Amino acid sequence: MIRLSGRLRSAVIIGLQGIRARKTRTLLSMISLFLGVLSVTVVQAASQMAQRAALADVELIEGIDGTLYMSVEGTPEATNATLRSLEGRSDATAITQFPAIIGEPNVRPVNEGGSPFDEQWGGWGWSGGSVRIECDPTGYCYEVIDEQYLQTPIGAAIELRVVGMSADIRQFRPFRLVAGQWLDFSTDPSYSPGLVLNREAAKGFEMYRVPAEMRIMGASDNPTPRILGVVEDGQRIPMAYGRLDELLNWVNVGAGPDPYYGGIGLEVLVAPDATETLQVLRANLAAAGIGEDRLYVRIIDSRRQVEQVMLILRVVFFGMAGLVLLIGVAGILNVTLATVGERVEEFALRRAVGTPRMLLAGIVLAETMITGLFTAAAAIGFAALVFKVAGPILAEVHYSLAAGSFPWEAALAGIIAGLFAGLLGGLIPAVRAARIPIASVMRA
Amino acid sequence: MTPLVQLIGLTKTLRGQEQPRPILTGVDFTLHSGESVAILGRSGSGKSTLLSLIGLFDRPDGGQYLLDGQDITRISDGKAAALRSAQFGFVFQRFFLLKHLTAAQNVAMALVNGQGWLPRRQRREKVLAALDQVGIAHLAKHRPARLSGGEQQRVAIARALVREPRIILADEPTGALDTETGNLVVDALRATTERGCALVLVTHDADHAARMGRVMRLRDGVLHPEGVNAPFGGAAEWAGLPSDQAGGSSHEPRHARPAESEGVRA
Repeated sequence: MIRLSGRLRSAVIIGLQGIRARKTRTLLSMISLFLGVLSVTVVQAASQMAQRAALADVELIEGIDGTLYMSVEGTPEATNATLRSLEGRSDATAITQFPAIIGEPNVRPVNEGGSPFDEQWGGWGWSGGSVRIECDPTGYCYEVIDEQYLQTPIGAAIELRVVGMSADIRQFRPFRLVAGQWLDFSTDPSYSPGLVLNREAAKGFEMYRVPAEMRIMGASDNPTPRILGVVEDGQRIPMAYGRLDELLNWVNVGAGPDPYYGGIGLEVLVAPDATETLQVLRANLAAAGIGEDRLYVRIIDSRRQVEQVMLILRVVFFGMAGLVLLIGVAGILNVTLATVGERVEEFALRRAVGTPRMLLAGIVLAETMITGLFTAAAAIGFAALVFKVAGPILAEVHYSLAAGSFPWEAALAGIIAGLFAGLLGGLIPAVRAARIPIASVMRA
Repeated sequence: MTPLVQLIGLTKTLRGQEQPRPILTGVDFTLHSGESVAILGRSGSGKSTLLSLIGLFDRPDGGQYLLDGQDITRISDGKAAALRSAQFGFVFQRFFLLKHLTAAQNVAMALVNGQGWLPRRQRREKVLAALDQVGIAHLAKHRPARLSGGEQQRVAIARALVREPRIILADEPTGALDTETGNLVVDALRATTERGCALVLVTHDADHAARMGRVMRLRDGVLHPEGVNAPFGGAAEWAGLPSDQAGGSSHEPRHARPAESEGVRA
């Protein structure tokens, strides 16, 4: 238990007596302060939630800060060297994306180009060679659509991007499992590739019934995929995640690059402490003739960048909330000055019985700060209630806001704002109370 | 024996918006433990000013103030507050009870003043003992609005007594009370001297003054001895008051005693 000093205890006890004796005035002070404290609480809560939402997406898409990102060119030498280096390692993963169509063969997908199902981004998508690039003698290149392809009807097929991983990607990009299960990397690879869909892809499979036949760019045959689960990956386009070793049963990475999509380029994510893995990877790439100048390497620091942007926004909004709080401070200052004016005899009497000036100031500050605390409690309670009521709406705005509780930082900001406003509003009345001469009781 | 309070040539000039007005021009005064002194004087003669100097509410412009032989003439604000808490009890004409507090809480005000801390139980015991001393322990939970004037003043006296002070300063404590109630209040104050407490009573009431051990009159800014009733507030006959002020107090018998040669400074 915290042992408060005698003066502090005295100030709190007398302050509470003062508040009990002047409930209406306390209520008036609270009303004037309420909006200010509420605005600080709401700004803090909103910025926390906005940051949570922004960071949730940025970590899903970019990766956790500190992760080393390496882009390896799509040549067979580079791809083979990378996959050989990372084989059996869990502290780094090589990922690659294949355009794929799941559904009926010989039809055009419902979302050509792999666009979200509620939107049509245009483009012809990938359909097993339906698009080719031609260049004229001047060097100008353009897409040529296979006329026969254009005659093909749109059928029960969904275009999506399939991401193949050599190891679990979730240590770098913390996908949230929504349904089913995640991939198991400990078992032998299956000829029927297991896929985990993202939300958009899952929406497509809910909207359309399609047969389980998958066409993958560069694949010799069409495998039958197994849908294992659904994750939140922060992406708007339909995607599916699978084990690279299972997909490579069907795709020849040693083949030449696709004329439209290029080769099977790899992205490598390496944990910050996986120095040995990184050394092996660099050495094997160098041995394959891929020097540092042909690699794109960076350390992910997206959280810091987002936090910097959020900080600017937070300062702006806190500035506005601070103005509202100042108006509340003016209110509590006004009410407390009037109260001190009415209590001249009481303060003089307290000085007469030995109360030091500092304690008199402390009594006034205790009253205003306790009032600030009460206001903070009311504002926090109100904000939390609104947060609870608006929860389902927020969940629709962004998935990261669905299961969140009211941010404790917002409650803390409210308490600090309440105490600060009480301190600021009580300062001048406190000085005035401390300067009341004792003779006020002698000559009354 | 070292006097409890010794004022030597104390001066004070009131400075307001008008011309500065010398109110005390050279007060000599001595007070011993257990002694009771009445101070008489016309309105505006400086009685309350003198009391405020003795009670460390204010500082003198000149002279010397010794408390227990220690010079406290230029004592700091903080030390003055500590001394007021530990050594003095105050009773005013108006009772100055806080209407939102009970009688017990009003008395406890003198204990919750930042000068040390007492646990709640000890506070309660001291408050009840103080209220018991003035005979109103049964009214501890009553708010001032439910108390008579005399009861309220006795609560104020209990507030002055609760810290067991060595000096009680009472500024016209019966001014707002009827004669009978006033006598009861003076009785209560007198009783404190029997426990060794010194009492300084500022009053216009000759009857009440007559019941103090010593009577002094403040005139032209200086204190003049008017009579001595009995040492340290004991029963005595006092024969020093002018006929218009000598009331017929039936509380104490009167005895003559030579005036002490103090209280006047040229």
